[in-house]
Amino acid sequence: MPEIELVGVTKIFDEGKVLAVDNISLKIEDGDYVFLLGPSGCGKTTTLRMIAGLETPTKGKVLIDGKDIEGILPEDRDMGFIFQHFEIFMHLTVWENVTFGLEMRGYTKDYIVQKAEEALNLVDLLEYADEFPSIFGNPGLQKLGIARAIATGAKILIMDEPLGSLDPKVSKVFRHELRNLIKNLGLTAIHVTHNQEEAMAIADKIIVMRAGRILQMGTPYDLYENPNSIFVANFLGETNFLQGFVIKLLDNEKMKLWTRLGGPQLISNNFGNKFELDNNIIIAFRFEDAYIFPLNYEFDVSPHDWANIQIFKAILEESRFIGATKRFYLRLDNGDKFIAIKPGTFEENFVPKEEVLVGIHIDDMHLFLAPKNLFHELSLM
Amino acid sequence: MNFKSKRVRLGKTSNEVLLSPSLRIDRFFSKPVYRKILDAITLIFFILVIIGPIVNIFSTIILNIPSINQIVFNDPLLGNLKWLRILGALQTSFFIATVAVIFDLILAFPIAIILTRYNFRGKAIIDALVDLPMAVPTSTLGFSLLLFWGIFGITPGLNLIILGHVVFTLPYIVRNMKIVLEKIDVLYEDAARTLGAPGITVFRTVTLPMMKEGIIAGAILAFTRSLGETGATIILAGLVETAPILIVGFRRQLELPSASLVAGILILVSLILLFSIKVITRKVGFPMKRVAPKVEKKLSHKYLRNLRDILSMVILIGFILIPAFYVITQLTGGDFIGELTGEDHKWAFLYTSIVYSIQIGALTVLITLIFGIPLAFIITKRNWGRVITLLDTLLDIPVAIPSAALGFAIFLFWGPAGLGLLQPGFSMILFVHVCFSFPYMVRPIIGVLERSNKGVEEAARTLGASDLTVFRRITLPNIKQGIIAGAIMVFTRSLGETGATIVVMGGIRTVPVLIVDWVEALAWQSAVFASIIVIIIGALLIFALRTVKIKGGN
Repeated sequence: MPEIELVGVTKIFDEGKVLAVDNISLKIEDGDYVFLLGPSGCGKTTTLRMIAGLETPTKGKVLIDGKDIEGILPEDRDMGFIFQHFEIFMHLTVWENVTFGLEMRGYTKDYIVQKAEEALNLVDLLEYADEFPSIFGNPGLQKLGIARAIATGAKILIMDEPLGSLDPKVSKVFRHELRNLIKNLGLTAIHVTHNQEEAMAIADKIIVMRAGRILQMGTPYDLYENPNSIFVANFLGETNFLQGFVIKLLDNEKMKLWTRLGGPQLISNNFGNKFELDNNIIIAFRFEDAYIFPLNYEFDVSPHDWANIQIFKAILEESRFIGATKRFYLRLDNGDKFIAIKPGTFEENFVPKEEVLVGIHIDDMHLFLAPKNLFHELSLM
Repeated sequence: MNFKSKRVRLGKTSNEVLLSPSLRIDRFFSKPVYRKILDAITLIFFILVIIGPIVNIFSTIILNIPSINQIVFNDPLLGNLKWLRILGALQTSFFIATVAVIFDLILAFPIAIILTRYNFRGKAIIDALVDLPMAVPTSTLGFSLLLFWGIFGITPGLNLIILGHVVFTLPYIVRNMKIVLEKIDVLYEDAARTLGAPGITVFRTVTLPMMKEGIIAGAILAFTRSLGETGATIILAGLVETAPILIVGFRRQLELPSASLVAGILILVSLILLFSIKVITRKVGFPMKRVAPKVEKKLSHKYLRNLRDILSMVILIGFILIPAFYVITQLTGGDFIGELTGEDHKWAFLYTSIVYSIQIGALTVLITLIFGIPLAFIITKRNWGRVITLLDTLLDIPVAIPSAALGFAIFLFWGPAGLGLLQPGFSMILFVHVCFSFPYMVRPIIGVLERSNKGVEEAARTLGASDLTVFRRITLPNIKQGIIAGAIMVFTRSLGETGATIVVMGGIRTVPVLIVDWVEALAWQSAVFASIIVIIIGALLIFALRTVKIKGGN
């Protein structure tokens, strides 16, 4: 059963001018649905194309079930490929599109008919078999693309932004159908996207890439709860970033931080004494992890429950209702801005431009050493 | 173990039976070595057949400097009289070409705009009629003009030559302008409008800069077509001597050194023009910085625009279309039958020359197709860097040089004076036609290949198709329109060419040449009849080209 492994794979384009993929190694287990996630130009599509044989690695190996597949042409790799722009053969009928790959493998007529019917059935297109694909809209074309790729019986499915050309609403429904299909067929699948929400929604595992390198890999939960870098924290979910520095190291692996330009002071975890006194720190917290209270809120629970929640003042600039959620745009004394979100049903009577209290649980704060250029780390490139 | 030479296939299952023979043949010949062999053959063909003769003419001139010097510059009897004659003919040719292109440009702008931006009844007919002179042999057009302007007492001479050259070069410029105008989104013009620019300012500052490439390509084509034209010019020239007429004359008298000098100069000047124009236009833009809102607003007035439209249509119909096809009204009853079935069996000559013309046209299409597709693939798909740029540039050369000079260059290269492999006659005509029409085949294929989607080809490969299967089943159906369009253009050009044919034809007559012969022999009724036949064929070809284009558009 297929298991894909990349060992030190590097791809350099344009005679050494562009380093697209920089020495990456990864392993994809049999039956896993893995996402390569990253901003455009991060090398994820190139990685995918090297697995499919459409590009040749400059260095490194691609192994399938432990065997080096260097030199095996794309037509001999037996992988299903699904394209962002579908790449349907418009001059062939739906049926001819689906049987194309089967015919190339030299199967018997009966077997071809059986497999093509199965594949078209899976995507509900069997009734259109004799039509030309031009009758379809984008979702229909991509369904055909999927049928064409799985009809061959390939056990590895490779997808390059397969939902990228679909309407956002359609794609949200479509992605669950895609996942079910892949799971029911027991395929090993690699899915490239720049859409973090899509990856979070249907991936078994996510590999985050940036500038040709792998930043982090793990389950959606791992990545969301324990981002290992400012970029991952920023790319997955919606995150606030505040700047500050360590003013005091406390016992039991805690420390005291002071946010920039005389902003509020906070206590935080110090993960096995990772940080030292005077370190410049980036404090990251999710929009949904910031709680807001009116200034006169009475914390009428025992102090113990509140010990791990840091409370500070901020000015509420604006609040917006967007259906399922409400967004609160907040500003600190030092001018830094951040956002909190609450369910749309959250009842509040805050007055804009007035002070409110903000609370963040100490475990919801992700801390990073300040990079040389925060703007660069936060740019989605 | 080296996997590269051995084809391993992953995921083989027990349901697999033997591949069909065609797929197995595809798989076998998809090996890189066969691709390399095909590339090599294509390049050898291109260099030898298309570029070789042109390079050869310069080396011939250099090797024959002493005899050229003696014959042209220091003849014991005539001194440098022959050189003065050559110089005069060259000056005449360049003068005619320049004037014709200027007239073309003035007329082509409004016509191209009317044909792309307006909608009116009969537009399709006018559009087809504007293209038609391109598909009709120039000798026919020349003959028609001779008859038409004869009514007004305009006799052969410089004026009539210029009128004739405008008629057959105009379609090239209009066509190129139309292609770029159709590509330019009207939204840009709308955007400029909403920003307050009057019509002329919009055209000058938004549309014109985007049309630059197309205008220049058309102008170069028209200029060199004019420079090398023989068929119409012979009929309309009277006593005027142009450079191509001189080449034909020298060639007839077997004065090869003089002919090669004229041909060499024509080719050299054309090439210098081609490259300098390409370089200059890349660096120099149209003047668009300065805007005179009030003046341009006035000039954009509706009445002036209407006046321009009406005037240009009147000129188009009165000075181009009617004179060009006046000949079809000149068939008079029994006269032509009498002339054709006379003692000298003109009908038999006509029949054989039509057969020759069609045979040569068809073979030219076949050969340019066989080598054109691989060359188009090389230029679009191989990443050989500078070599591709070079090939791409060399490909324009046969179009850019006057066809009479090209014909003579090929005569020199392959004929008795050169390699001695061919004698003037059928096969040499074929070589000439292949040479000058090759770019007409390759360019459209490059066009469709560049626009064609690389993704579908990759999709087919991931589904298990070998290189050749992908080509046969996926690429070819997608570029079919370009290939058919190229084939029709090649056939059209081959059918209409006169000058290059005369130089290498030996005893064979194609239709355009036959018409020239008959006009000179004053067998006008037969010439009228032959002209009508070629006009009908030309109209059919233009119709076919349009049908292909419309299908391709969907």
